[in-house]
Amino acid sequence: MNQPDRYVQFVLPEGERKVNYKADTKLKDAGTFSFRSEDHTMGNLLRMLLHSDKATVFAGYRIPHPLEPVMVVKVQTNGTKTPEEAMSHALQDLASEFEYMLNEFDREVMNAQQSAMHNI
Amino acid sequence: MGKDKPTKGKNERSKLPKHLELQRDFVTCGDKLNYNTQTFTSANVFSAMGVDNSWDPAQFKENFRIIINKMDNEVMEFDMIGADPAIANALRRILIAEVPTMAIEHVFVINNTSIIQDEVLAHRLGLVPLLIPPHLFEAKVAEEAPSEKNTVVFKLDVTAKRNRDGSIENEKVLSSDLEWLPGGSELPEETTCRFAAGQAHLFTEPSTPAPRAVHDNILLAKLRPGQTIVLEAHATKGTGKEHAKWSPVATAWYRLQPEVHMLREVPADSELGQELVAACPGLFATDERGLIRSNCARGHEMVLEKLRRLLEQEPFSSAVAYRKKKDHFIFTIESSGVLPPQDLLTQALDILGEKARNLATKLT
Repeated sequence: MNQPDRYVQFVLPEGERKVNYKADTKLKDAGTFSFRSEDHTMGNLLRMLLHSDKATVFAGYRIPHPLEPVMVVKVQTNGTKTPEEAMSHALQDLASEFEYMLNEFDREVMNAQQSAMHNI
Repeated sequence: MGKDKPTKGKNERSKLPKHLELQRDFVTCGDKLNYNTQTFTSANVFSAMGVDNSWDPAQFKENFRIIINKMDNEVMEFDMIGADPAIANALRRILIAEVPTMAIEHVFVINNTSIIQDEVLAHRLGLVPLLIPPHLFEAKVAEEAPSEKNTVVFKLDVTAKRNRDGSIENEKVLSSDLEWLPGGSELPEETTCRFAAGQAHLFTEPSTPAPRAVHDNILLAKLRPGQTIVLEAHATKGTGKEHAKWSPVATAWYRLQPEVHMLREVPADSELGQELVAACPGLFATDERGLIRSNCARGHEMVLEKLRRLLEQEPFSSAVAYRKKKDHFIFTIESSGVLPPQDLLTQALDILGEKARNLATKLT
């Protein structure tokens, strides 16, 4: 009854930006990224990749309220990279990682199908 | 700093002392809870010991492996080794919620004199998995008119009659009674669904079968003689995020690879040895030196829970360790029949890659 429409979770409304970055006013080399229409799927992945970057001092994500499709990632680096650079590298690493996984998987499926055909 | 570091091999990662390596790589299973469940992904977590834990693409590619155990049209089980739990979980979430399928969304009831209410029948129709390749259609935006590009139309026209011999014809309305209408809606004014062209050319047997329910014997309603159901059902493309009827998997899950280690030498003829073999048949065997050794835990899952209970007390807890490998996931995907599981996984990985690329471009 009071539940918001489900499509709000993944459809970006007109005029809204997908990602917003706000540099932190009190800390150096820190900032907050705010993603619209994203959830734990990407949040946890980004947090994990940001952690595995040597330049990251702090990385965490949260979803401020479950009824609103906003995901916030807070990043602080040690100065060798800006937070935007760290996030950009993390996303590129993620894209290449999934591409590699897809190729590996396709290869394995073909092997499995071929060996199944030979066994018949 | 570190730009000319050589590619890290497996040796670099094992520079940690044994006990820390154990904590990093394995979950220790106790009787009531599991220990060391967190993952150490942070690059600086071992900097005090001088070990660099940062993620290296080359090392990831070296360590990452997929081993397919079982694969048929409905179920697939595979091992994913070398991935982080965040990746495994993201894959699971995408498989359940973001791979698109077709399901009945709008039901136009022309006549329903059965005992099943209109809305209950419509709900049941929505949950029926439909054998329609989703890539042939576009998702329908809310304001868009239904057309041959985004809608598949089915008709259900069943009347129950009593036969001469007393038996009842059409007593059960099954999913096989759904008829596909390739030419579109038969009531274009009421449903605002007008097809400019037919859809028959999209579905050429046998490579692409005509749209129907995946399973023929799903019971939709029961009728008594004289009762009739006439309705038109429109199927559209959607994702599990919007409603579970659009989820392409019956379910998808993963678990960690279990391992059983002997912590010290236990002679097979000792009391402890005998108890181990008796309590967990098949898991423990005697090796050539007369000592107890553990067989591969994968094949003996039934006794692993019993082993957990035993590990609570001595002498078992100092002799046997039950651990789970943190980066070795045993994934199972059970498809609902719309697409074979390997296609689902390919699509899921595609969608994840697309999300990452999309965010990368939207950053600026």
